[in-house]
Amino acid sequence: MLKKRIIARIDVKNEFVIKGIHLEGLRKVGDPHELAVRYYEGGIDEIIFMDAVASLYGRNNLFHIIEQACRDVFVPITVGGGIRSLTDIEKALKSGADKVALNTQAVKTPQLVSDAARIFGSQCIVSSIEAKRAGNSWEAYIDNGREHTGIDAIQWARQLQELGAGELLITSVDREGTKSGFDNDLLSRVCDQIIVPVIASGGAGVHTHVVTMFDSSQSDAVALASLLHYNLTTVKVLKADLAENGVPVRL
Amino acid sequence: MSEKKLETYYGLPSEVKFCKRCTMSNQRPSCVVEFKHKPEDKKPTIFFDEEEVCSACRFSDIKETKIDWVQREKELGELCNKHRSKDGSYDCIIPGSGGKDSAYVSHLLKYKYGMNPLTVTWSPHKYTAIGWQNFQRWIHAGFDNILTTPNGKLHRLLTCLAFENLCHPFQPFIIGQKMTAPRYSALYGIPLIIYGESPVEYGNSIEEADRPTMFPSFYTEKPDLDSLYLGGVSARELIEQHGVSRNDLNPYLPVDGERLQKIGTEVHFISYYQKWDPQENYYYASEHSGFQSNTERTEGSYSKYSSIDDEIDPFHYYTTLIKFGIGRATYDSAQEVRNGKITREEGVALVRRYDGEFPSRFFENMLEYMGISEEKFWDVINRSRSPHLWEKSYGSWALRHQIT
Amino acid sequence: MTMPSIAIIDYGLGNVRSIANALETVGARSLLTRDQSVILAADGVVLPGVGAFRQGMENLRRYDLCDTLHRLKAVGKSLIGICLGMQMLLETSEEYGVHEGLGIIAGEVVRMPVTAKLPHVGWNEIAEPASGVWRDTIFYNVKEASSLYFVHTFAAVPTDAAQILTITEYGGHVFASSLQSGNFYGCQFHPEKSGEIGLKMLKNFVEML
Repeated sequence: MLKKRIIARIDVKNEFVIKGIHLEGLRKVGDPHELAVRYYEGGIDEIIFMDAVASLYGRNNLFHIIEQACRDVFVPITVGGGIRSLTDIEKALKSGADKVALNTQAVKTPQLVSDAARIFGSQCIVSSIEAKRAGNSWEAYIDNGREHTGIDAIQWARQLQELGAGELLITSVDREGTKSGFDNDLLSRVCDQIIVPVIASGGAGVHTHVVTMFDSSQSDAVALASLLHYNLTTVKVLKADLAENGVPVRL
Repeated sequence: MSEKKLETYYGLPSEVKFCKRCTMSNQRPSCVVEFKHKPEDKKPTIFFDEEEVCSACRFSDIKETKIDWVQREKELGELCNKHRSKDGSYDCIIPGSGGKDSAYVSHLLKYKYGMNPLTVTWSPHKYTAIGWQNFQRWIHAGFDNILTTPNGKLHRLLTCLAFENLCHPFQPFIIGQKMTAPRYSALYGIPLIIYGESPVEYGNSIEEADRPTMFPSFYTEKPDLDSLYLGGVSARELIEQHGVSRNDLNPYLPVDGERLQKIGTEVHFISYYQKWDPQENYYYASEHSGFQSNTERTEGSYSKYSSIDDEIDPFHYYTTLIKFGIGRATYDSAQEVRNGKITREEGVALVRRYDGEFPSRFFENMLEYMGISEEKFWDVINRSRSPHLWEKSYGSWALRHQIT
Repeated sequence: MTMPSIAIIDYGLGNVRSIANALETVGARSLLTRDQSVILAADGVVLPGVGAFRQGMENLRRYDLCDTLHRLKAVGKSLIGICLGMQMLLETSEEYGVHEGLGIIAGEVVRMPVTAKLPHVGWNEIAEPASGVWRDTIFYNVKEASSLYFVHTFAAVPTDAAQILTITEYGGHVFASSLQSGNFYGCQFHPEKSGEIGLKMLKNFVEML
């Protein structure tokens, strides 16, 4: 049977892995390659590298990190942050990434998602949504949680699926970095409405958060940052605990 | 082509330079005694050395390499031992708003050093929702607090006058904020006042880096209605021409120095005793007092957690942009570059993207608060632009010098 | 003994860098090429592939590689087709209309039933279809129920069930996750992205050349 995926989310700025709270106050926590290898050796299922300043500089700077990671890490690698054009996507895939994550540019020009899906295949395209609670629903944010869009995040998720996104990465801006648990309402609502796989991100502080998240939503994967980068747990220990709690994982 | 020498306002340096290490420019004014602030004053500005590095960056070098923080922490311990109360009375006053800095300072002193602080707050002009929530969270994290809200009518008048005469709408807040702690020190006989960071962190008077305390001249004075200025207008003129009573002026006037001397009032900076890092304060405050950053970045900057409790605050930074060419993103990024959080390259990109952003969110509220029209607002703004910093081309204003 | 050389067929699709890295890790040299003589001279061949069937076949035709692939089969050269690379070995696929494949393995490629989310993405288990099938193949020392990385919407259905090497269950439906026809292997999953197990299989492939 298909396992739930445990993904390491590695945000990079100026060659450092960084981590914040609510996508704010970014602290350096390590070296991207070192962490990627550590997690791979620990049994991580996938790795996502996000360029935290790409939107600011108008370019993604992680391709050399991807090239290096591909030499030592033999699980799927996704790269995101500042991916703006088909050329950017091509560059990313050529450098060794298996998938690209799109957020800001997809909101500005949704056509990019459909073009990319057509040319590179849906399986290469992960659409990333940063969602913040707004009344009864959630609003989509862009630019690393800096700008709000006025767009309903759930509706946007449906639209992205229609445009051809192969997976959705859903980050809760409210929970991100707080280690207080996932926004399970958000995740259930998204999973209810779409059929492509969903990766949950934002909020894991202890193992039970992950268990509860998988139990209460139909998410297919979880992206972890604080939990791993701050050594609150290891991939091995986490997976063993998940398995014991009935979550099917690759051991 | 004739080189017409451009007029410079406020006594600023005529040549604009940017620090080679951070994003600050040499136009940054140093701290002044606000209750002496007259419209025609010439402003002292931050010092740039011959390598074009600002004194704040030089001070951050000193922080990294020359200060014995272990020794300084010991001194803090001794200071606390000296003042710690044995009978349950308050032993120190901590002025603050419940923002990340005061949340950090108060929590540190109470829960690590066992002090019994009375926190005192000078109310923002207009609380933002997030500001009020964080204020409440702070109190509920376990602190006694006195919130002082000045006479609203006078506060608005002073804000309007400060804006019209000095292009400095935030002045009434700044003055009152500085007076609050000394006022309560005098009222309750509590000598020890603890602030967060010293102006030395921003490059002011670097020769005073060895001093743990604030100069009394910043908060004490023999009340003299002719030499005290509020909103660019003398206290006497406020009474005689603006219908303000002597009683009303009380919260804004410095406390009598003799009175404070009798009590033994001292204003200490935590930044003398511990390496000051605002981002680390954010983390500490998030974890210990439930401080939450805003959901959106503040207009004029990229930050979501710095100074978010007053609707008027963004206009303070907008007016520093107008007068000195320095907006909020510059202030935020300069400090983060010095503390190693971002590179100068990133700081420059952030400043270029956000510094000039107009704070439209609370603009209507601001006009209403001050009781002026939009036209009047732009009148004041435009006549406050120093010609050596601004030029008008194709009908819109642009800074002559942008950081690179 | 010299390192075995593997030709990775270059027809513009597939994560070739990852495949090359994986092969290097397991002790082979690799060369990305579409030159028929180079491909035929290599010790082994990898046919990568990510994307749509029709595009893949068009590219193979454009670069005159269909003939090369048939030749490889005829001379008994070892080849491993990955993902789309495997699917194209079959006769037809119904992805975006009915399209002709290489027809090297009898059978068709059909859309997976929508009883679960599609595409099928993630780590899933492989099982031996019957006892002893894995002996003398690249799975000979792989543990039953090992997890490998899949990402696809269509699956191969070979005419000859004996050519099914591994089976996998998804959404209550069992499908062929890898095939073997003589010296040709086809894997629906990505061994170059399946951690140590995937590397082990590639190592076996290289060692058995």
